[in-house]
Amino acid sequence: MIPLSHYMLISAALFSIGIYAVLSKRNAIMILIGIEFMLNAAILNFVAFSKHDKFAASGQVFALFAIVLAAAAVAVSLAIILNVYKYYKTIDPTKIDKLRD
Amino acid sequence: MDTFTKETISLLALIATLLPLFSFAGILLVPGSRDRGSFFSILNIATSLLISVVIFLNVWNKQPIHQQFDWFIIGDWRFKIGILINNLSALMLLLISFIATLVHVYSTKYMEGDPYIFRYWAYLGLFCFSMFGLVITDNLLLLYMFWELVGFSSYLLIGFWFTRETAVQANKKAFLMNRLGDLGFLTGIMIVFSQFQTLDVNLLFSEGGFFKRSLVQGDLWYFSSNHMPAVWLTIAGLAFFFGATAKSAQFPLHTWLPDAMEGPTSVSSLIHAATMVAAGVFLIARIYPIFNPTVLIVIASIGAFTAFMAATIALTQNDIKRILAYSTISQLGFMMLAMGVGAVAPAIFHLVTHAFFKCLLFLAAGAVIHELHHLKDKKGLDFDHQDIRNMGGLRKFMPITFITMLLASLALIGLPFTSGYLSKDAILIQSFEWAESQGSIARIIPYTALFASWMTAFYVARLIFKVFFGELRLNVLFGQAFSLHEAPVAMKSVLVVLAIFCLFPLFSLNPFHASHAWIIEGLPYFSTTPTVESYHILIPAVVSIAAIILILIGYKWYGKNEKAPDYTKAAVFRFSQEQWYLNRLYKVMFVDSVLGLARTAFSFDRTIVDGIVNFSGKIIIVLSAVSEWLDRKVVDGLVNGVASVARTIGNFVRHFQTGRLQHYLLFMILILLTFFVLKYFSQAI
Amino acid sequence: MNLEQVVFYVFAAVVLSSALLVVVSRNLVRSIFLFFITLFSMAGVFVFALADFVALTQLVIYVGGVLVLMIFAFLLSNKHILDNPESLKTKLFGFHNLPAILVAFLFFGILLWCISLAQIDQLAWIQGSAGNTLEVTDNTIHNIGITLMTKYLLPFEVVSIFLLMALVGAAHLARKERKP
Repeated sequence: MIPLSHYMLISAALFSIGIYAVLSKRNAIMILIGIEFMLNAAILNFVAFSKHDKFAASGQVFALFAIVLAAAAVAVSLAIILNVYKYYKTIDPTKIDKLRD
Repeated sequence: MDTFTKETISLLALIATLLPLFSFAGILLVPGSRDRGSFFSILNIATSLLISVVIFLNVWNKQPIHQQFDWFIIGDWRFKIGILINNLSALMLLLISFIATLVHVYSTKYMEGDPYIFRYWAYLGLFCFSMFGLVITDNLLLLYMFWELVGFSSYLLIGFWFTRETAVQANKKAFLMNRLGDLGFLTGIMIVFSQFQTLDVNLLFSEGGFFKRSLVQGDLWYFSSNHMPAVWLTIAGLAFFFGATAKSAQFPLHTWLPDAMEGPTSVSSLIHAATMVAAGVFLIARIYPIFNPTVLIVIASIGAFTAFMAATIALTQNDIKRILAYSTISQLGFMMLAMGVGAVAPAIFHLVTHAFFKCLLFLAAGAVIHELHHLKDKKGLDFDHQDIRNMGGLRKFMPITFITMLLASLALIGLPFTSGYLSKDAILIQSFEWAESQGSIARIIPYTALFASWMTAFYVARLIFKVFFGELRLNVLFGQAFSLHEAPVAMKSVLVVLAIFCLFPLFSLNPFHASHAWIIEGLPYFSTTPTVESYHILIPAVVSIAAIILILIGYKWYGKNEKAPDYTKAAVFRFSQEQWYLNRLYKVMFVDSVLGLARTAFSFDRTIVDGIVNFSGKIIIVLSAVSEWLDRKVVDGLVNGVASVARTIGNFVRHFQTGRLQHYLLFMILILLTFFVLKYFSQAI
Repeated sequence: MNLEQVVFYVFAAVVLSSALLVVVSRNLVRSIFLFFITLFSMAGVFVFALADFVALTQLVIYVGGVLVLMIFAFLLSNKHILDNPESLKTKLFGFHNLPAILVAFLFFGILLWCISLAQIDQLAWIQGSAGNTLEVTDNTIHNIGITLMTKYLLPFEVVSIFLLMALVGAAHLARKERKP
């Protein structure tokens, strides 16, 4: 029997790694991967708690929704990244600083 | 002649008054040639004369005419003006219109060729209007207005030849002197009004009028419910007399009259001899009840002194018009003296007779001047055509002028069978009687007048002999024989008409006694002095005999060319010649002191007031510099400091605005963490 | 420590280590394949949480869908993206990602602290859910199916429409610019 807090620890670590990727990477695809880490960390939490909710299984259902939505988000994100590349000829987010002004 | 109603007569008087104004306005408003207006003016003034005769016949020794209407109403109080024609004003009306008509006729020739003669006619019209208005009005305020107008038209006429510096100075002087007197007049009006709440001459001064009903008790002057300190009565009298002093050229305000001779001689004759200067005497007669005994003594003293002083000055003058001017002052002094001693009727009588003979004297002198001036222009010579030392022997060239002027001179001296004899002796007799009743000191007054009367005889003799006897001194001066012409008919005829009025029959059937003269009988008689029979014979005799002796001396000295003893070095002579140094005294006393005051004030202004202003200006400049510095350094510095702080902060904060998504995300997460920390730490602690 | 626990911690270790390698790797392609390992191991962890259906979905959608989509998309569109030289130079402990590291550790610390504060294992509803707890022998798919078709029918339909929209949108965005 594995205690819930261990799942939490894994989830927290994965989430922090995701944050690091999002904040530090010079590549849009790596940022996307970071986001996926964070989503997976969240899904792990849903799933872990769902263990104590046998009949409603809300955690698992939401995990499914989240996975589906994450897949959709990846699809859209990739499309956006391709367009950004077409426009700026780079996918380095530090070079894309139009938000400054 | 009772065919005229009161209303008709008032209307006629109004028409007579307005006709000269009509000629004034008509001449100035209707354009035309420069010599226009003579016929128009004469027509108007002659009509006025005609109307005056009618009025005189209807009013003299009959009920006075008094017509009034409301001028304006303030609350319940009505200010009425109107026309009051009694014996006095009817007589004055007739006198003024008559002399004015004659002077108008005379002027047609005398002023002929003057380039701006239309102005002369217009001004004469204005003067006549003012003078008529002055004598017929029933209200002190209106009287004052006309009084001012008379002074103004006199100012215009004295300065008629305004291109002459002396004429301009003279009219300025006359105007200022008259203004000084007007101040007195106005003061008097104000005092009377505050006491009686009316300025109606009839209400105030008639028999049983307000003045008779007011009474002085102790220190207070009562009238119905009003009262004021009694001294105001005296002050009012003195104020009115001061006004009259200026107008009638009495000491000390007489100095304008000799200077006024700068105007045309016809003007001098009408205004400064016959009519305007008599306005002061007229005023005193009109408001006689206002004067209390104190004021009357002042009037008598001033009158006597003026008569004496002017006579002494006239002794040594060489300008023919100036001699006549001082003679006028002297005679006006006689009239004032008569007023002062209560001889109102003789004073007016003398005013009338004096008007005729002095007007004649001036006009005759004008004729002489006119002819000499012509000679001067014709021959291109340079001499003073008014100086009697240049004349002499003129009776051969101008016999009619000589005879008429001689008659006028006799009247002025006051020899029997002339009008002057009647009036002047009436005054002298009454003043002696008055002095008798007053006491010792008062005797000086009639004796002064007596001396003045003797001196009159001498200076008139000197004038006549120097002008008409001997030989023409111009011949000696220029070494050639000149011949002169008699004056033109227009002038000559006027002289003759006036000469008739210098004789006794027109005024009194008794050539030696004035008490039955119709003018004296027709006028109110205010005097209460007892009659002293002996004076009535003694004084005329003394005056006449002394006058004849003086004339003989004059003839001896001046009639036979240059045999007069030379007194020109004597101090008394110089004193007289310099007109008692009064002009100089006034200059030193008033003009110089005023100038000095002005200079002091100017330097005060320049140094102290300007200094203060400049100093405060400098202070303000310094202050403003300081405040400018403060403004720039402190206030602006504050603002700029705030701005630069904001800019610095902005510049600093801008570094966080990198435009990079990841940085924004970083901040978002940091903020999120901060919330977490704050929330859970606060719970934990 | 029984076998079950050993396997679980191995999976957990693989997840975390591969995730770390993903973020520190300088090669994008390597990162993506390491990402695949992470997701695969994650599915294993799901299994230990008795969520076998979710684990399968994870494998199918993420490993089979997302990852393949990524690789294919990059390869098909532009090969330069894959060998972006700048991305290769990224260092783990460069000055510029120091804040990111700090924030990440801070976040991790706070999460740990929260977890310890919550004392999840002693929560009332977990303690008292004895009859409601999944057993290893239980079939989860049955319950999920019932729930999806009853309680979460509307979200289910919305998600399906959303997926369609996402696909259409992605296709539209990614299409080649047509010259007018």
